[in-house]
Amino acid sequence: MIIESFKHNMAAHCESGTLNALLNYKGLEITEPMIFGLGSALYFGYLSRTPNLSFPMFILRTKPGKIRKKIEKRTDIKFNTKQFKSQDEAEQELDSLIAKNIPVACKVDFYYMDYVPQWERVHANIHFITVVGKEGDEYIVSDSYYPKLARIHKDNLRKARFAGGYLAPKGFRYYIESVPEAIDYKKLIPIAIKNTINNMIGVQPPFIGVRGIRTFAKKLQGWPKLTRDIDHLSHEVMKINVFLEDQGTGGGGFRFLYATFLRQASEILENKQLDDMAKKMMEIGDGWRNISYFAAKIGKNRELGPEKLQELGSMINERADSEEAFYKDLRTVVSNI
Amino acid sequence: MKEKDAYIDYEPQQLIMYVEKEDGTFGPIQTGSYISKNYLDDFWAKMMSLRNSLLEKLKKNEITPVYFYKLIHDFNDVELSRRTGIPTYRVKKHQKVKSFRKAKLADLHKYAYAFDIPVSNLFQAIVVEDNEKKAESDELKQPIIVKQTRTDNPFVVITKIESNKK
Repeated sequence: MIIESFKHNMAAHCESGTLNALLNYKGLEITEPMIFGLGSALYFGYLSRTPNLSFPMFILRTKPGKIRKKIEKRTDIKFNTKQFKSQDEAEQELDSLIAKNIPVACKVDFYYMDYVPQWERVHANIHFITVVGKEGDEYIVSDSYYPKLARIHKDNLRKARFAGGYLAPKGFRYYIESVPEAIDYKKLIPIAIKNTINNMIGVQPPFIGVRGIRTFAKKLQGWPKLTRDIDHLSHEVMKINVFLEDQGTGGGGFRFLYATFLRQASEILENKQLDDMAKKMMEIGDGWRNISYFAAKIGKNRELGPEKLQELGSMINERADSEEAFYKDLRTVVSNI
Repeated sequence: MKEKDAYIDYEPQQLIMYVEKEDGTFGPIQTGSYISKNYLDDFWAKMMSLRNSLLEKLKKNEITPVYFYKLIHDFNDVELSRRTGIPTYRVKKHQKVKSFRKAKLADLHKYAYAFDIPVSNLFQAIVVEDNEKKAESDELKQPIIVKQTRTDNPFVVITKIESNKK
């Protein structure tokens, strides 16, 4: 069976996209950028010492699952969430929910989503899909990164839900129990924006926020010492492009998505200054996109000597400067709302 | 980003990008992946090179299958330990040639699960010569397909070699 009334759409980001689809299914009209913005999801972190990572990486959004938690805290949307120890119990419960026409969001290891091209599949316990049906041994899933409804064998879904390792899903699933008739956007938007400003320029460790962007630019110079050979270095540098553009960011490291949120917020609040900030954020995103193009190019050409890495570092530092000025201006705008 | 600059014609990997549209509004468009369209060949070349160099070392008994697959899956020791439930010190030991021969079958089974391969593949590399001439991504053009099917016995897998009828 399949939940016919569920509408599949691609989305920029799996977590906000899954949430968006489930809220729309429940009758609450809300956009993905609004979910992303209200969830204060924009972030930057440079992780160099996390024991589970084989190589330093940077993150551009808050911890997986946090968007939903923030939305839950800030609105009257009621979620039903659960983790499991028993794989059999998790599967049986999922089947019974689908049978009741309840689409269920599951946290999974992206590697096992075998409907996506092989080169995209990496081990990452941070992916969200919505299970909307089951036929025989296959589940029908809505994945924000896939153009149509996909099918996944039950054994694969089980592995994906119970993969071990960093941020292990432990069978986590959620569905929406109820949504409010309306959300008080005018009250929530300033709160959410202030939270994001704090993430980026508030008192944070040196690897977080704008300081984290500068740390990234600096530490990047040491990457050649961390790699096995030139191919490995090339691979890691080209992953900068993947993290900024391809891994569910909506482009420019989530900056385009956040710009769209600010535009929608300016319309709701009828605030021209917020709209100006939206345009500035779009430009900041363009700068990140230039970085991603540059990283891909020097990685492919193996132009990875100190000069090129310094050039890349300078481009990243420019983003830090632009973003620092941006969030300071945004703080002034929000304080006047 | 302007809408006109965002379109990438690459059907195999689609994604959503937020752009400034022609009429000045901001919104989503569906487009293709820039890096996959332009640099996928380089990615496969690097993966093949890594796999082949590791295979050579494996053949010379310089590394263990655990080390081989750990790099292929981009795990580090801690992550592999967490995924298998095998203590980190033992994961480290199993990457040493002398210690690997003392590994328990139960541990090998856990590694195979984490690497998403049959246990038997820890002891064999299946190579189809004709396929090597084709890109790994180009499955449709590969003349031979190797299919491995699990059985109810966790240690036994059926390996079928078929001609590609696609």
